[in-house]
Amino acid sequence: MADSTHPQASRPLPRPEITKPPGRLARLAGAAGILLVGVLAACGSATGGASSTTPHRGGNLVIDTDTPVSDFDVWSTSDNESIWCLDQITQALYANSSDGKSVYPLLATSYSLSTNDLTWTIQLRHGVRFSNGAEMTSKDVVFSIQQEANQTNDTGWGFLDAQIASVTAEGSYTVAITTKYPWAPMLADLAFFGNAIVPYNYGGETHAQFYQNPIGTGPFMISKWVKGNYIKLVRNPHYWQPGLPYLDSLTFQAVADANTRVLQLRGGQAQIIEDVPFNEIKSVESAGQKVGLFPSTRIDYVTMNELNAEQAYGMGTDDANTWFTDPHVRAAISYALDTKAIMNAITDGYGTAASSPLMSSVEYYSPVSLDSGNLAMAKQELSESSFPNGGFSIDFITTSQDPIQYSVAEIVKQDLASLNITVNLRLLDPSAVTSQEQTYHFGMRETYWTNDIIDPDEYTSFVLEGGTGSVDFANNTHFDDPTLDSLIAQSETTFNATQRAQLYLKIQQLAADDAPIIWLGDSPYHYGYKTDVHGYTVYPTGNAHFEDVWLSS
Amino acid sequence: MARYLLRRLLQLIPVVIGITLITFLLLHLVPGDPARTLLGVRATPARVAALDREWGLDLPLPVQYVDYVGRLLQGNLGTSIFYEAPVGQLVASALPVTLGMLAMGTIFGIAMAVPLAVLAATHAGRPTDHVIRAVPLIGLGMPPFWVGFILLLVFALTLSLFPVGGWGDTLPQHLISLVLPALTIAAVMTPILVRSMRASLVEVLRSDFVTAARARGLSTWRVLFRHALRNTLIPAVSVLAVNLGYLLGGTVIIENVFGLPGVGNLLLSGIFERDFDVVQSVTLIYALLVVIINIAADLAYARLDPRVVLGQ
Repeated sequence: MADSTHPQASRPLPRPEITKPPGRLARLAGAAGILLVGVLAACGSATGGASSTTPHRGGNLVIDTDTPVSDFDVWSTSDNESIWCLDQITQALYANSSDGKSVYPLLATSYSLSTNDLTWTIQLRHGVRFSNGAEMTSKDVVFSIQQEANQTNDTGWGFLDAQIASVTAEGSYTVAITTKYPWAPMLADLAFFGNAIVPYNYGGETHAQFYQNPIGTGPFMISKWVKGNYIKLVRNPHYWQPGLPYLDSLTFQAVADANTRVLQLRGGQAQIIEDVPFNEIKSVESAGQKVGLFPSTRIDYVTMNELNAEQAYGMGTDDANTWFTDPHVRAAISYALDTKAIMNAITDGYGTAASSPLMSSVEYYSPVSLDSGNLAMAKQELSESSFPNGGFSIDFITTSQDPIQYSVAEIVKQDLASLNITVNLRLLDPSAVTSQEQTYHFGMRETYWTNDIIDPDEYTSFVLEGGTGSVDFANNTHFDDPTLDSLIAQSETTFNATQRAQLYLKIQQLAADDAPIIWLGDSPYHYGYKTDVHGYTVYPTGNAHFEDVWLSS
Repeated sequence: MARYLLRRLLQLIPVVIGITLITFLLLHLVPGDPARTLLGVRATPARVAALDREWGLDLPLPVQYVDYVGRLLQGNLGTSIFYEAPVGQLVASALPVTLGMLAMGTIFGIAMAVPLAVLAATHAGRPTDHVIRAVPLIGLGMPPFWVGFILLLVFALTLSLFPVGGWGDTLPQHLISLVLPALTIAAVMTPILVRSMRASLVEVLRSDFVTAARARGLSTWRVLFRHALRNTLIPAVSVLAVNLGYLLGGTVIIENVFGLPGVGNLLLSGIFERDFDVVQSVTLIYALLVVIINIAADLAYARLDPRVVLGQ
C-alpha cells in the first residue's frame, strides 16, 4: 500500500535537470543557496568544462590522481580515488545530484512509500544491462542491497543500511525495501556506492574475487589494472544510456607529486589532474589550463580528545586530557583560533571560514554563531574554567606529509601560546596519526570530512554523535551530549522537511555551543583540466560523471 | 672464482637474516596499524581485531616473524594489504622500472664521465681541466628532485622531446620515459666519477709504462684508451658501486618526481599504509641489490686487473 507515487522520466541526453523525490529530502534552499553562490563568487572561478559545441565520441582521457586506485571491495574500501573510479563501473538505484542536495533516479525510475513510512517500493529501469551483456533485474537488486545490508559497522559500511529489515522482489522490475523504523535518508543511502547493483551472486564468483575485477551497469568497464600504477577503463558496449559515454577510455593514473601532476597537465600527459596546489592555481590558469573549483562537502576541523588512552583501555586513572572535558577550555581554545586566517593560510584564500558545524554545501546547513578569533573572549572563557591560567601542555599529532595538517598544527601552537597553553607537535607518518587517534593517544589533531551521501546524517552520525552506541564516539573525541544524540536520532526518522530543517538547526546550534571540535572551514575540490575537456563537473560528494565528458581534440 | 662466489653467497645469509629481522621489528614496533589505516574512520575495535586475526597480526611477534621467514623460504613475498595483490606480482611490475632507470642512469653517467675525465686529465692544470672539474659539481650540489624538475621543464615541457613523467605502455615508450630520470641519476653520478677517474688518469699518465708506450711511438689515443684508461677503471668501479647503492635509496624521490611506478614508489606507499609485506620485501630486495652490486664490482676488479685474484 502506498500513499504516494513518484514517477520520474527517463534520462534524456544530455543530462536532464536533476529531479528530486518530492516531500522527502526537502530543501532549505534560501540561506544555503545564497551562501553557496557567495562561495562560488568568492572563488572567482566557473565550475565545469561547459562548451557550446556538440559533443562527439572518441578519445582517451587520463586523470592524474594523488593516490592509486587500490581497492574496489565495497565492504572495506574507504579511499576516495577507488570509490570515485568504482562509480564509473557500477551504479546504484539513485544518484547524487550535481548540487549535492538531492538524489535522482538512476537505475530506478520511481518509488512509492507506504503509509506507515516503512516500505519503499521501487520501480526499476527496463533495458539496463551489465557490461557482460546480462540484463539487470530485481534479482540482482535484491542480492546487491542484501549483501550490503547484511554488513554491520564492524564488517563494512553496513551502518548506512542498518535500518533495512528486508529486500524482496515483486516481479522482475519492482523491489520492495522494508525498514525496521521510518528512515528519512533512505534514498540518499540508496545512492551510496556500497548499494550499487552488481550481478546476482556476483556472477558465480566470491565477493573477494568479484571485486578484484568488478562489473556493473556503469558507462565504463575495466580493461587493465596495474595495481599501484594505473587502471584503464574502456567504454561499456552495453551501456543503457544511448550514445554515452563519449570517451573510448578513461585512465586513472597515480602521480603522487603535485608538481609533477601540474607539469603533466601542461605537457598533455594528463587531461585532468587532482588537487592542484592552491598556491599554483593562478600559474596553472595563466599557462592556459583550466582549474575547476567545485563546491565540496569537505570541512576541515581540529578535534580535542576528552579521553586519554589509559582511560580508553581502562588501564589507569591518568587524567592527562581532562581539560578538554571542561566546556570553558574548549570555548577558550575555539575563541583563540582565528579560523578565517587559518583557512586563508591553508587554502591560499580559496576556502571559507566555517560558519556552522555543517559544511555549507549540504542540505539543512544553516549559519550559526561559532567562537573564533577573539582573544579577549578566549581569556575570559579560560578564566572561568578549571584552568584559569592555562599552564598545561597539549600533544598535537600531525604529519609533515600533509602540508595542511602541519600548517594548522603550527598555527594552533602559536595561537594557544597566548593563553599560556603549550602545544607539543608530535610528527608522525599518516598511518601512525590514524592509529594514535583511534587509540586515543593524542590531545588534538587536524582532520577533515567529505560526505559519501547527500544527507547530512552520515556526517552527524560520525562526527557529532557520541555515546557507546555511536559509530566512532564523535570522531574519537569521546565527546557526548545526550541531547545532541537525541536530536540526531530524531532527524533520521523525521520525514517532514520543515521539521527536519528545524532539527538540523538545533543540532548545529547545540554543537556550536558545545564546541567539541573546532570547525575551521570549507574548501572546494580543485581540479586542473585541459581546455579541450568538456562536460567535466565534480559533484559535492566528490564523484564525477565521466559518461558526460568529451574531448574536443 | 667459484669458491669466492660461494663464500660471498654464504655471507649473504646473515645479511638477509639481519635485514628481515630489523625491518620486521622496526615496522611492528613503531606506531601505526595496517587495519586502522585501511579502515580509516570506520575502524571499530571489533573490525580492527577481525582484520588483525585475518592477517595474522594478532599472533605473537616471534610467531609472525617465523611465519614471514617461512614464507620467504618458499619464495612467497606475501600479500599486499593495501593493494590486495601478491607482493611478488607488485614487485615484478615495479622492479623493471627501477632497475631500468638505474641501468640507463649508469650508462649515461659513464658515457658522460669517461670523455670528461679524459679531457680533464689530458689538459691537467689548464682552463679546460678547471671547467670540467667545476661545472659538474653544480649537478652534485643540486638535490635530485630539483634536477628532475629542471629536466622536465626544459626537455619535456619546453622542447617536447620527452614525456612529462609516466611509464607508457610499450617498450619504446618505457625507454623514452626513462631518459630524463636516468639523466637525473647521471647528473648526480657524473661529478664523482669524473673526479675519481681524472685523478687516477693523471696519476697513470705520469707512470713509467705510459712513458714507455709513448717512446715506442704509440699514438696518444692508443696510449689513453688501450693502456691508461683501463688502469683508472678500478677506483672508478669502486666509486660507481658505492654510488649505485646510495642512488638505490634515492630512486624513491626520482620515481616520485617522474611519476614512475617503480619499487621506490611502492616502498613509499607501503610505509604510509603500513603494508608490512610490501615494506619488508622491498627493503630486502634493496639490500640484496646493494650486495649484488658490490659482488659485481669485485668481479669487475678481477676482470680489469689480472693481479687481483678473488678469494685471496
